[in-house]
Amino acid sequence: MRVLMFGWEFPPFQAGGLATATVGLVKGLLRQGAGVTLVVPFTTEGVTLPGLRLLSADGPAPGLTLHRVPSPWPAYGGVPAYEEALAGMERHVRGSSGVYGADLFQEVARFAALAGEIAAREPHDVIDTHDWITFEAGIAARSISGKPLVAHIHATEFDRAGDGANPIIVERERRGLEAADRIVANSHALKRTCVARLGIDPDKIDVVHWGLDSEAHASDTPVMPVRLASPTAGSGYAPLVLFLGRVTWQKGPGNFIELAGRITRLVPEARFVVAGTGDLLPAMLERAAELGISARTHFAGPVHGAEVVRLYQSAAVCVMPSVSEPFGLVALESLRHGTPCIVPRTAGVAEVVANAFKADHWDLDEMTDKVVAILRYPVLRDELSRNGRSEIAWPRFGLEEPAGHTLRAYRRAVSPAVGAV
Amino acid sequence: MPDICLYAQVHQPYRLRRFRLFDIGTETEPFDDELNARIIRRVAEKCYRPANELLARLLQTADADFKVALSLTGTLVEQLRHWSPETLESFQRLVGTGRVELLGETYHHSLSSLADGREFREQVVRHRRMIREVFGVEPRVFRNTELIYWDGLAPVISGMGFSGAMVEGADKVMGWRSANHVYEAEMAPGLRLLPRNYRLSDDVGFRFSQRSWDGWPVTAEKYAEWIAGAEGDSVHLYVDYETFGEHQWAETGIFDFLAHLPGACARRGLRFVSPSTLAERAPVGTLSFPHPTSWADVERDTSAWLGNRLQYAAHERLYSLRSRARTAADPAALETWRRLTTSDHV
Repeated sequence: MRVLMFGWEFPPFQAGGLATATVGLVKGLLRQGAGVTLVVPFTTEGVTLPGLRLLSADGPAPGLTLHRVPSPWPAYGGVPAYEEALAGMERHVRGSSGVYGADLFQEVARFAALAGEIAAREPHDVIDTHDWITFEAGIAARSISGKPLVAHIHATEFDRAGDGANPIIVERERRGLEAADRIVANSHALKRTCVARLGIDPDKIDVVHWGLDSEAHASDTPVMPVRLASPTAGSGYAPLVLFLGRVTWQKGPGNFIELAGRITRLVPEARFVVAGTGDLLPAMLERAAELGISARTHFAGPVHGAEVVRLYQSAAVCVMPSVSEPFGLVALESLRHGTPCIVPRTAGVAEVVANAFKADHWDLDEMTDKVVAILRYPVLRDELSRNGRSEIAWPRFGLEEPAGHTLRAYRRAVSPAVGAV
Repeated sequence: MPDICLYAQVHQPYRLRRFRLFDIGTETEPFDDELNARIIRRVAEKCYRPANELLARLLQTADADFKVALSLTGTLVEQLRHWSPETLESFQRLVGTGRVELLGETYHHSLSSLADGREFREQVVRHRRMIREVFGVEPRVFRNTELIYWDGLAPVISGMGFSGAMVEGADKVMGWRSANHVYEAEMAPGLRLLPRNYRLSDDVGFRFSQRSWDGWPVTAEKYAEWIAGAEGDSVHLYVDYETFGEHQWAETGIFDFLAHLPGACARRGLRFVSPSTLAERAPVGTLSFPHPTSWADVERDTSAWLGNRLQYAAHERLYSLRSRARTAADPAALETWRRLTTSDHV
């Protein structure tokens, strides 16, 4: 099976799960013997796709061809973030204006225009795409090669923006999913969203939960923990409560700050780390100051690679207060490192992981209770840590098994007679 | 015809580097030495050295009464010593003429007056000791960070032996009164207050190169004419020293302006006086500053540093660490902490 895959590039920081998921999928497919041609937009200087760098570090990956197409677009930033990135890039690369599309939609269109050309050149049996930004490219590629089109959906615009959904993006999503021969959603929750809000035929959607690349998250490698003195005098190191994700509406950073305020009253020795960046960051800084917890709340900014591992291994608990979480890879990463995790009840990951606390994102009391319990009772923390870690070692949370399910979805796209996943 | 009191503030903070979560608890210094060296050398080249040379020449050739007052922060003097010692020497030569008066202030250009009285006094005393050691003179007149002043500070300044203090001639305080006089402090009758004439000061400091302003271009002749036309006993012109060559580039003609100012003033019978001479004059009245006032922004208060909750939280947190910095095993901790008190950081 030769796959022509259209992905979207992404800065080297832990800003979102799309690249992690894409790279994981590519690795898994390669291990399953599939050939993958991954087309991704070009990155600016110093910006790399960490997973792909990993592949090339082992020499050229057999079966993988990489095409890069220029783009300043960070995967999940939204239209304003694109404009900002574009402006920054034009400042950076002098005299380059005109090389890059003037807005995100032009960028998507340009990517699609190049897709047809690549489809004519690259031999393939199936075309795969990831979210709306690449759907146009997939449709263009199919119109040239006539091969079946698979659409991976990681999150819909409703998940990212709620009522603030951009109607043009919603329309692109709908068009891409309707055009696709098969769809792969990363959770039942996301499948339901596609059916209920975008009117997609449920029989066309396979659910494949994500797994983790155990190489990228080898938790056995010792790292230097982040140790911060307790804010209350004389009680040693502070237990860290971690938020890791984009500081945007979808991820519920505001819930985390409110939670921090409540936890501070109950566990005064705790400190809080917000790792990531996004449009809500200034508001979060302000709110932390307002709650009087600035000195114990650390805004680490975007973190990457070894720093992510350090944070997971240093945190006493990781909290995902996301308003919407179609899957939630952070939970798997956290558990892999033995850090207990609190996930939204509606998250895709909650469908498959047993050893994580679940709470509604709006139920701050419930989340406070759970965090405080983990901080106060080492026995509980150890139990969650040990069980979470051993659960994540199951093959279903690796790369091969999800890749195997995805391959089956490809086969069904190629010959619809193949049975369901 | 009013006298002229010309004063310039000379300050550079220790600029901070990006200090990340992962740097906490490591030996990493919060200051960016490379950046600091670069900025000090650039400002020395563009402003301090040419301005000092010009002043030295004017003090030699212009009318015998031309004089100027400067105030150099401890953080500036230290950095000059490290990265541009020849510039520090040129300041020393200027002071050596006996016609460049140096003022007192906090060593670290801090907001300590608003936070901690003991710390404030220690920083002022330390600054005075530094001025004595480096320049061999004794500051007589005080200027607080960014001209922050309010009634409660008067007895403290007076108690440390200063005869006068520079204050902002803010409308809300001056009311119908003119800033062009010497006043006395309501809470410390021995302390003379020298209010800044912010219009004439900002004509040079802010508006000098602003072509949309109907006063542009400001020539030395035109400016001397404005001063000569001002009512009152003395016009107090306070600017940042970086006005000359850094805020206003040499291309704007700022150095030519300064070069011709003493002559233009002399031709109109305007005389230059030093702040300490002014502080010996009899006051025309009393000024009361019920709230902290400064020369910053249009608000002329402390909102530039403590205007939002985030700044206030950082300020509170910083000063709450004072006793820990003082008792820390590492003697460098207190100095690091003090460098963080520099007002530029909030």
